Amino acid sequence: MDRITHPATRRSLDEYAQIRYLDPSECCFKKTEGGFLSLSIGEKEQYERVDLVRAFPLSDSDSYISVRDSEGNEIGMLESLSRFSDSTRRLLEEELGRRYFTPVIEKIRSIEEEFGYSYWDVDTSAGQRRFTVRRGHNNLVQLGGRRVLVIDVDGNRFEIEDYTSIDSRYSRLIESLL
Amino acid sequence: MDRLEPLSDEARAAFARHGIWPAAMLVVAKADLSTDGEFADTWVVLTDQDLAVLEISRERIGQSDRGRQLREPGTSRFVSYSISDVERLTAESLPLSGILSAVVNGSPVVICRFTNTQARKFGIFAKLFGKVKEGKELTEEDFKDERSPAHCPKCGLLYPDQERRVCPRCLDKRSLFLKVLSFAPKYKVQIGLVLLCMVAGSALNITSPYIRGSLLFDQVLAPEGKYAGRILEIVVLIGAVQLLALLIGIIQGRMNAVVSARIVFDLKSEVFEAMQRLSLSFFNNKQTGSLMTRVNRDAERLQGFFLDGLPYFLVNVVTMTGIVISMVLLDWRLALLVLLPAPAVVYILNKIFPRLWTLFSRMFRRRSAMNALVNDALTGRRVVKAFGREAAEVARFGAVNEGVFAVNVETGLFTSTVFPLINLLMGIGGLVVWGYGGLQVVSGGMTFGTLMTFTGYIAMIYGPLEFMTHIVDWWSSCMDSAQRIFEILDAVPDVVEAPNPVRMPSIKGQISLRDVTFSYEPNRPVLHRINLEIEAGEMIGLVGHSGAGKSTLTNIISRLYDVEEGEILIDGVNVKDIAVRDLRSQIGMVLQDVFLFQGSIAENIAYAKPEATQAEIIRAAKLANAHDFIMRLPDGYDTVIGRQGYDLSGGERQRLSIARAILHDPRILILDEATSSVDVETERLIQEALSRLVQGRTTLAIAHRLPTLRNANRLVVLEKGRVVEVGTHSELVKMRGVYYNLLMKQREALRIRGVAD
Ligand SMILES: Nc1ncnc2c1ncn2[C@@H]1O[C@H](COP(=O)(O)OP(=O)(O)O)[C@@H](O)[C@H]1O
Ligand SMILES: [Mg+2]
Repeated sequence: MDRITHPATRRSLDEYAQIRYLDPSECCFKKTEGGFLSLSIGEKEQYERVDLVRAFPLSDSDSYISVRDSEGNEIGMLESLSRFSDSTRRLLEEELGRRYFTPVIEKIRSIEEEFGYSYWDVDTSAGQRRFTVRRGHNNLVQLGGRRVLVIDVDGNRFEIEDYTSIDSRYSRLIESLL
Repeated sequence: MDRLEPLSDEARAAFARHGIWPAAMLVVAKADLSTDGEFADTWVVLTDQDLAVLEISRERIGQSDRGRQLREPGTSRFVSYSISDVERLTAESLPLSGILSAVVNGSPVVICRFTNTQARKFGIFAKLFGKVKEGKELTEEDFKDERSPAHCPKCGLLYPDQERRVCPRCLDKRSLFLKVLSFAPKYKVQIGLVLLCMVAGSALNITSPYIRGSLLFDQVLAPEGKYAGRILEIVVLIGAVQLLALLIGIIQGRMNAVVSARIVFDLKSEVFEAMQRLSLSFFNNKQTGSLMTRVNRDAERLQGFFLDGLPYFLVNVVTMTGIVISMVLLDWRLALLVLLPAPAVVYILNKIFPRLWTLFSRMFRRRSAMNALVNDALTGRRVVKAFGREAAEVARFGAVNEGVFAVNVETGLFTSTVFPLINLLMGIGGLVVWGYGGLQVVSGGMTFGTLMTFTGYIAMIYGPLEFMTHIVDWWSSCMDSAQRIFEILDAVPDVVEAPNPVRMPSIKGQISLRDVTFSYEPNRPVLHRINLEIEAGEMIGLVGHSGAGKSTLTNIISRLYDVEEGEILIDGVNVKDIAVRDLRSQIGMVLQDVFLFQGSIAENIAYAKPEATQAEIIRAAKLANAHDFIMRLPDGYDTVIGRQGYDLSGGERQRLSIARAILHDPRILILDEATSSVDVETERLIQEALSRLVQGRTTLAIAHRLPTLRNANRLVVLEKGRVVEVGTHSELVKMRGVYYNLLMKQREALRIRGVAD
């Protein structure tokens, strides 16, 4: 672990400033037995574990994705997921979905408001969940249109795709919290 | 964390099936996600042989309409690893979730996934694993997590805000109220008088309709009355009662204004004092600016409540009880009739007002958003102009303004419909009195005077009802404000002084770091096992990429944050044991962003030593190469700087902060990028000043440009939170390692810019 690599320092400044965009036709992503993604680029480059990091997680979540090695150094970037084959794309989307875990709220069972906190009990795309949201502090964010991001006190995120389409009681409450 | 989280029956049975019995379990932790990234119960169990994982997917209600494959409820996945095969276990924070990852027989493996809620727990789990693998015994100490999410001891609720540790459900508003009142005893006499005035005022209020009704019509105007014809006296009486009520009202109002302002003033001063005690991380969490405005707003809200809300409420309660009693005594049937619509009115008001408050609060929020925008655009107008963004700013303002307009219209429409309706409702009581009372008067069952008294009371009883429905909201929002204020008053600074601190009025300046690990956020260590010995008077240059942890290292040495692991010793004493006062007075910092507060240059230089003489201030400025530029200002050392004052350049600010440090005369000096972002000549001036400053002090210098550190006795190279190289410049160059690479890269960069050195 304490082995330290300095790819950034070894490369010349020009190289350092340049982004390497990975060519979809050369990349082979696979899910490993251990549950990570592995990547091989062409014949020579092999990574047992790579991590994906979004450059624009909110505004453009499917483009400009950084692929990093287990030390956190950037291997390269994926310009757009749409340029990959369906199966690879699904693989990448699933991995991103787990890293950027943001369940979609499908049904609100109840929201109780008390003293500046709201207690939510919801069904999400990932199952049922209860959580607490602090009022104010931008914990409910409107992401353009009717999409709303809910951030709980632990920093977990939930998404409501269209807050006007849920139970009118709650949609009014949510509107008042926005 | 808990050593053993209680296993569910299902989980216990499943583990037993795989031969893992509760008796063998050293640590049990439950994760809340499955490896597929769904909510699930995933049990991770550590025995002295194995690391076992059992994943039980939860029962799902209904079908997901997002086309995900749902597993059957209750299916489980069991995996077990022999501890000897697991090389290392790490809790990693991904952007929006976490994983416990392992290297098993050389391959990376995801052990379990969890949400941010459990990040700390698995951070500790990973550490515990390390200990067990080394064959060490686990002690209770290992499970301690000072920063662990805490629960309300009363109702078990996870505190919604871990920093506050306040359970909103169990928040005892009554005791809070008493706590606010505990600021009151100083003003006993005044408060007693206020209360007396209230009761007297209420009594007068109640008698007034009686005098103008029953007494006037039945006793004075009626020929058979007791005081028939004594008009002058009754008019004088009515006048006197009115005058007296007015007087009492004035006295009460004036006294109340003073007392409540005093109480709030006392509260605010205490808050400010408390804020000075608190550590940096408190402010990092709360954002100082918004904290201060919030304190002010909370205090004002409290004052409003004490000034308007509480007295009005008390007066109303007394008055209403008095009126009800009087009405019942006068004519209980009519009293009943009059009070009949009251519950309905209260009910309807209760329905309408919440909607109104939402509208008002939305209006308030949109307006403050607009103000913030205007503020930004004005204070940042140089940036706006420099980037030619005027049109965009105008467009942004337009959008926000439209929002304000919309909510204004909505509120206006709502109130102009609702208030007349409420008035109509309240008028019903009056109609009842006129109708039924009128009939009674005609049939001789009631005197005209009683009827008049009743109509007087009607107005008095329905008027305050509206207020009374809203006092509850007012009260809870005020107690919320009070709570926030006390939170600061009662907050325990997390850099706490030891119970018996070691006084060290003169530190020599020898520093040792032993196995220091530090993280701001769970599972993201910023410094790993740092070991470093610094001699007294030595100058150390800290080198590394930005984000390597250089500033963090200086922060923990000056104990702006406490480390979790390892220890930091100054002159052989743990910094946690040194009296905070002594520590702070002997560590000085010159930082990249210099904080200058509103005030004169002299005051800013003398910040750490307010009693400094003018000569001392000038000497410090001279040593800091600041004297000349200060003297060029029309107001010299009296020039007011800071937000609204004179604008100093970056280099000038930095030299002021060096002067400040010279005056402060610390034994340990920290220079964090003190010379970045200045031109060559200014840098020379600052360098010169610094070289005078570092004489005879232990100095930790961070500099972006490596040549600036050529005076350092030793250089310490940090990379990703680890010390990777230590030595003099020439030693490190010979090593051809990280430092050499950094140096070469910088030279290259300089050459590209055509300023090769
Ligand atoms: N208050 C903080 N809260 C959380 N993370 C922080 C905080 N301050 C710094 N960090 C993080 O710690 C790491 C080291 O930062 P720092 O010590 O400022 O680096 P350097 O001074 O070497 O540039 C960075 O990744 C930074 O993002
Ligand atoms: Mg820094």
